[in-house]
Amino acid sequence: MTILTVNQLHKNYGRIQALKNVSFSVPEGSVFGILGPNGSGKTTLLGTITDIIRPTQGSYLLFGKTPTGDERRKIGTLLETPNFYHYLNAVENLKINAAIKKKGENDIQKVLEIVDLNKRKHSKFSSYSLGMKQRLAIASCLLGDPSVLIFDEPTNGLDPVGIAEIRQLMRNLHEEGKTIIMASHLLDEVEKICTHVAILKSGSLITHGDVAEILSNEDIVEVSCSDNETLLENLKSYPGISNAELTKNSVHAFFPTGTANLSEINQYCFSKGIVLNHLTLRKKSLESRFFELTNN
Amino acid sequence: MAHLLKIEWMKVRRYRAFWIFTILYFASITGINYIGYYTNQLTIENMPMSQVLIGTPYGFPKIWQTVGFMSSWLLYFPGILFIMLLTNEFNFKTHRQNIIDGLERRQFVAVKFVFAFLFSLAATLFNALVALLFGLMTKGSTFSFEGAENILYILIQTFSYLSFAMFLAILFRRSGIAIAVFFLYGLIFEWLLATLINFKFEWDPIGYFLPLQVTDTLLPLPFGTKVLYKGAPEPWVMVIASLIYLGLYIFFALRKFSKDDL
Repeated sequence: MTILTVNQLHKNYGRIQALKNVSFSVPEGSVFGILGPNGSGKTTLLGTITDIIRPTQGSYLLFGKTPTGDERRKIGTLLETPNFYHYLNAVENLKINAAIKKKGENDIQKVLEIVDLNKRKHSKFSSYSLGMKQRLAIASCLLGDPSVLIFDEPTNGLDPVGIAEIRQLMRNLHEEGKTIIMASHLLDEVEKICTHVAILKSGSLITHGDVAEILSNEDIVEVSCSDNETLLENLKSYPGISNAELTKNSVHAFFPTGTANLSEINQYCFSKGIVLNHLTLRKKSLESRFFELTNN
Repeated sequence: MAHLLKIEWMKVRRYRAFWIFTILYFASITGINYIGYYTNQLTIENMPMSQVLIGTPYGFPKIWQTVGFMSSWLLYFPGILFIMLLTNEFNFKTHRQNIIDGLERRQFVAVKFVFAFLFSLAATLFNALVALLFGLMTKGSTFSFEGAENILYILIQTFSYLSFAMFLAILFRRSGIAIAVFFLYGLIFEWLLATLINFKFEWDPIGYFLPLQVTDTLLPLPFGTKVLYKGAPEPWVMVIASLIYLGLYIFFALRKFSKDDL
């Protein structure tokens, strides 16, 4: 089943086009990452499918239906910032959320334990740190054990331990068969958690699909010797290489992921009469891949 | 709607400002009427002839109207409260979260108006009790339901002020702006406009049909009415006009909240 179908969505804020003709669909059971730099339209996109932003044009379906409140009740959503009544404590706030979602209050204790907020559950929301607010927002998403979750920058404001916990939580949710739609500008977050990815750049969907295909890493081998130009010429004919280029102090040789063998390269060069003074394997950083994708 | 009201109740139950405002408002209703009652007594004691002019505003049957008139000056306070109840949601962005979690936009707005109506009912009931109390305290006055239609006017007036306040809150979204506009318009500009229209240009009764004047005219000062409210239409006309305004506030509040990005 398709959880979400987005159909030619446009959103203009005056003359600014926040979304330009965005279409994609999210399959059931996937962890769907929406990746893009700040201001690329991620939150506008998620805001549209949760009915707080009215699209200028286009449509979307949730669970194959034109959405109403009943479809939104089946989704746990954290959008942008944790939104709670400042003068109420965690339990009182979650009771309101549960009532709106038409879920019982039995879950409240459980979700507070999952996000490790049990000790402070009777403190007012206004006294919480940013990380605790974020945890409470995630707890609210989990109320009623929804089959679909939408997270906008879920690790925002969390410390490294919190980030690891939330990522583990998302993996667990994925293993339970839940569908997660997540927006992030953190590439490693998307790489570590997501099965699918859509990349947004200034409102346009650049590409979307399987995360392994889109964010495929290349192996980069960095080599140098006394005469790098000769080295470059020789490496270009090395079997299995996809590309090689001269940089400032070294030569970068590119290989499909997992196929670079350093000792064989060394041996090859030596057989050509080249003595290497530098040889390291570098994974191509996701960031450079991301910049490639987002820089036209 | 019962479910929505329950959610609304969960929001205000532990909101201290709600209780402080409500208790102070109810206490002020008693207070402002006691001031009127006492001032009226003093005036009559010192100048017995004044009774010819002002009558017995705190005796039956005038008391229902007198209390309504006196209390109407306090309506800005529950007005501020209801502006805050709405702008809190905008400040906390809980208006977004409520929709995200499954409320329909029109439900979010409708329940606020229903809640304001229930609050108006409570305030009206309290005003009726205060009227009963001062009516019975006034010498030579015997209980009578004559003029009790003024209780209905109090309800219409209270709900109209709250609805106007909430309409401003949804329009401006910021408590400071909404409160400032509410006060300045209600206390200064509308009086200025009404006076200019009705008395200077003598275009009466047009001035009585301004948004808040409509219900103010329903509950006029209990004496000197013919001079101060020259050319005011019959109460039933004002009731219909009030209901039209109420319909407009609710309609445009719903429309604005349904069409906007939240």
